[in-house]
Amino acid sequence: MQGRSTSRRQLLAATALVACLPVAAGARSIRGALPWSAGQAYPPPRLSAQGWLFFTEMEAAAVAAMANRLIPPDELGAGGAEAGCAVFIDRQLAGAFGTSAWLYMQGPFAEGTPQQGLQDEQPPNRRYREALAAIAAHCRENMSERLFHTLSSEEQDTLLKAMEAGTSGIAGLRDKPFFELLLQNVMEGYFADPAYGGNREMVGWKLVGFPGTRYDFREMLERLDQPYTDPPVGLYGRPDWTRAPR
Amino acid sequence: MTRRLPSTDVVVVGLGWTGSIMSLELARAGLGVVAIERGPWRDTATDFPPATSADELRYAIRQDLFLRPAQETLTFRNTMAQTALPIRRWGSFLPGNGVGGAGCIGTATPGAGIPGTSPIAARRSSAMARISCRPTI
Repeated sequence: MQGRSTSRRQLLAATALVACLPVAAGARSIRGALPWSAGQAYPPPRLSAQGWLFFTEMEAAAVAAMANRLIPPDELGAGGAEAGCAVFIDRQLAGAFGTSAWLYMQGPFAEGTPQQGLQDEQPPNRRYREALAAIAAHCRENMSERLFHTLSSEEQDTLLKAMEAGTSGIAGLRDKPFFELLLQNVMEGYFADPAYGGNREMVGWKLVGFPGTRYDFREMLERLDQPYTDPPVGLYGRPDWTRAPR
Repeated sequence: MTRRLPSTDVVVVGLGWTGSIMSLELARAGLGVVAIERGPWRDTATDFPPATSADELRYAIRQDLFLRPAQETLTFRNTMAQTALPIRRWGSFLPGNGVGGAGCIGTATPGAGIPGTSPIAARRSSAMARISCRPTI
């Protein structure tokens, strides 16, 4: 079966190595695109234009509300919404993660053992689209015509906890797997580098005292009993370095 | 279709750890060596500058630098009674890809439990998710 991705045989053919190797009868040659470019080295992403690349406004509002219950704002630090977790997930779903472009996504698809890992036929972008639609329909029909982000915090928590337990009963939603995907992506958004759209102003790193992408801690070696107080640094430095001081 | 390439003493298929060392040794011994590698060319300065090599999401979570299963994967089962299924996302082992092969990720450091090395992995329960890598050549 030939799918989107390039098989090893095709790769070998494309790199003009067929002469060196026995090629099975019936093999096809595909010329042109290899899954990388020569000299490919790409920098961290630059946050693209404002607005949503994947989510609709309604989906984005729902995801931001969910992120804000999974990591609620409190006296210790910012919540998932303020940290930009929805922007992070939006940009991830619009890219290679959303389409599972790097993963093996051809058949056969079957329910595997836990040790066999990911066996889901649907890439994350479709899982989010369908799950958010199912949750929106559930809130509309069973929670007096409202949407997830207009529920009270308590109602949101109740629904998320039921999803986590797999007992939400939301029609058309495999709630537990979706909750796990959402929780993972919210954590990624809260703690990944700000270049990816979340962790805005490095709120996640400040909360846990993570120094960021600093790589030289030699001057700390002599200061074992002192707290580390240097502010975090991201892949693109710090906001203070690129912005005029107020 | 067939293209005849210039003759050489040695062809090394796969320029990872083993291929790199073999190629170097053979070239030092005076043989002409052509190395063939399915993955991209990589340079330390442009691919792994210290300023970006600490990107946990890109390297440890999304598994950049490794062979992409979309390119090639294998099937897996624990016992003969089970049905082998394709590995869609790497888990128990992480094949390298490109010039340098797994040597690019040879200094992988366990991130969990070491404060300040990997804020995402430290909060994941799966043991496999705790592999963090610092690409170096």
